[in-house]
Amino acid sequence: MLWTITCRRLRRDQRGISNIIVVALSLVIVLAIVSNLVLWNYEMNQVDWEKMREGVIIRDVERGTGSQFTFENDGGLSVHLVSLWIINSADRQRYDISVVINSAETKNYLREDIPLPEGNYTVKVVTERGNIAVYSGS
Amino acid sequence: MRKLSRNRKGITPILSSLLMTVIAVAGMSIAITATYVITDGLHDNMGERLIVEDVGFTSGQISLYLRNVGKVSVNVDAVYLNRTSQSFSALELEEGQHGWLNVTYSWSTDSIYEIKVVTRRGTNVVDYYMSPS
Repeated sequence: MLWTITCRRLRRDQRGISNIIVVALSLVIVLAIVSNLVLWNYEMNQVDWEKMREGVIIRDVERGTGSQFTFENDGGLSVHLVSLWIINSADRQRYDISVVINSAETKNYLREDIPLPEGNYTVKVVTERGNIAVYSGS
Repeated sequence: MRKLSRNRKGITPILSSLLMTVIAVAGMSIAITATYVITDGLHDNMGERLIVEDVGFTSGQISLYLRNVGKVSVNVDAVYLNRTSQSFSALELEEGQHGWLNVTYSWSTDSIYEIKVVTRRGTNVVDYYMSPS
């Protein structure tokens, strides 16, 4: 009986409705901002985490018809190599490459158009996530 | 119809309701735009990632090869060499893009340089590089 009366009173009493609407809309806006930022932050943390878990080593570089590079992925994720540098005291050359190496895999990469310089040189590869592996040879 | 057009009672509540609706819609539009602007700015700040692939020392110039590994475009705003601002060629990199950033500077041989690249959104990449002998 008391419950029915209270409900009836509440239905008739329209005071404070606008306040409730304002609070609800404000909550929607705040929720939209917070959820957007939290989700984006989560995504960028994922990017950084993946970069930290990535590991690539240049095992060997050989002269032949061009150059042969041996890459090893010692990280927990697949690696996409996107850039190769050949550097010596006189010159530094960059080549675009696209090599995907699965986790724990070793891959040979032959490039006939890349000559290795005489004397000491440094080979550098860059991954898509932004890690760099360096190899020094002569 | 004639009665309705002559009867002017109740116009004020209608006008006030209409005015309140317009004010409410305008207020919400401002709030939503502000939300978008604030979120978008923070969003872009958090998504910026930049790496220096290589640094080359040539006569009167230091060249940095930059790669955008973030989720938004990057615009280089300042370059500091040993904490001093230097002039450089403008560079804007879209997501996944890479390119040379040339800094005009008379460097000395066998010296260590602290090179700092600052983007328009305030992200900075700093490292030490040694000039050749």
